[in-house]
Amino acid sequence: MSPLELVDDRFGELARELRASQPRAPAELRERIETLAPLPSRRMLPSLRRLAPAVALVGLAGSLCVAAAIGLVHSGSRERQVGAPETSTADRVPGAPVFGAHTQAGTSRSFPVPAGKLQAGSGALAPARDRLQQYDAALTLRVHDADELSTRTQQAMRLARSLGGFVVSASFDVPGRRGVSTLVLRVPIGHVQRAIADLSGYGTLFAQKISVQDLQQRADRQAARIAALRQTIAAIAARLRGPLGTAERARLERQLAFEEQQLATMLKRRAATVRHAKLARLSLTLVTPKPKAAAASSRLDRTLDDAGSVLAREVQILLYALIVAGPLLLLGGLALVAARTQRSRSDRRLLERS
Amino acid sequence: MKARASAEDFAEAARRHLDDVHAFLVYLTGDRAVAEDLTAETFARALERWHRFDPHRGGPRTWLCQLARSTALDHFRGEERRRRREGRYAVAEVRESAEPAFGEGLSPALERALAQLSAAEREVIALRVLLELDGEATARVLGISTSACSTRLSRALQKLEKEVSSGVAA
Repeated sequence: MSPLELVDDRFGELARELRASQPRAPAELRERIETLAPLPSRRMLPSLRRLAPAVALVGLAGSLCVAAAIGLVHSGSRERQVGAPETSTADRVPGAPVFGAHTQAGTSRSFPVPAGKLQAGSGALAPARDRLQQYDAALTLRVHDADELSTRTQQAMRLARSLGGFVVSASFDVPGRRGVSTLVLRVPIGHVQRAIADLSGYGTLFAQKISVQDLQQRADRQAARIAALRQTIAAIAARLRGPLGTAERARLERQLAFEEQQLATMLKRRAATVRHAKLARLSLTLVTPKPKAAAASSRLDRTLDDAGSVLAREVQILLYALIVAGPLLLLGGLALVAARTQRSRSDRRLLERS
Repeated sequence: MKARASAEDFAEAARRHLDDVHAFLVYLTGDRAVAEDLTAETFARALERWHRFDPHRGGPRTWLCQLARSTALDHFRGEERRRRREGRYAVAEVRESAEPAFGEGLSPALERALAQLSAAEREVIALRVLLELDGEATARVLGISTSACSTRLSRALQKLEKEVSSGVAA
């Protein structure tokens, strides 16, 4: 069946005549064509249609290589981080004592110890035995788990009591991921070194601060003031025992009452100063380590994780680029289609006129 | 995998399809001399672009006809520009040729009828009737759909038949 018959078989005779009279290329033209020499071999530039898949493949392979390389490098560096000392800044505990606060020039000494350079009981200054001092110590220790956190908290409380001290406040919190226990203890100054040494052994010490503030001058001032008040009171009492006018007696009695009140206040203050100096204040913070899921995973897992993250990032960037360039590409494509359609119509009109 | 088109393949394709390309261009231009020049130009272009020919996307004849059509369109555009510049007298030059334009042995009525058709009508007749390309290949050469190609062919043949009939009656 002739292709023409697929359209219409009424034109068979017409078609036969046309085919029978098909123009043949003249011999000169045939010679011209046969003498066309092949062009010297030149570098063939692949067409865009063939180039596009190759570029896409190279891009994909490049992305995978970059992701794998970054994954390998990162997994190695994270391995080193995991093996590093555990006293990293990531281990800092929210709510732990703030070191370096409350220092008073000339009368106090403060010794914050850098994290990562601590040994158990190190830096526990001995209190001066011949002077009154306010002794504050803050320790932060890490214990293995929540059970040990509970045990060590109870031990610390028992230790304070056994040394003649008491527990000012206690807070124990295990919210699920990381446990924190905070204790404030008062311990007799004579046992403070032993208390610090014992408490330091409850876990891995990674922060410690000891602050000593001299109270002797304050106590001496208070003692002098008390002596002066006593003298004044004795003098007023002596005068009241002698003959006095009514008005003068009344005035002296009011003054005596005032001075006695002042003496009582001052005696209380001095007693408080002495009491402060007798009991050291120990702030103890116990924490459990943060769960380290990454440490348990293998290097391959970490590599795959990192590579996956990088690939996800690359996909994000690609999507972003597509979103940004999408409208422009769409407009470009539409312009291309419109130009082709226009050219096709123009060709058709040109052929219809010819 | 596609084998790379070699110079030998091109020479063979040129030998086999020279007459077809020439006949197509004769029908398209209606001028033998112009058709010969365009045929030579087509094969020169074809040789230059032969490495781009992909046999999986159509035979060499279809590809050569596409190139021939593109070459002819370039020629028509150039001619139109020239006519515009020179005042439209060049059209008559072509039609005044004494040599039979579309082929030896054609009846004068058919020859005249072909001359009355537009290039767009003659090209679809040349591809479908003369070269016996199938509808799909013809549509690819013309850059239109298969159904549009069938419609165009049907109308062209009807017009040709009508012109032949009116020529014979006259």
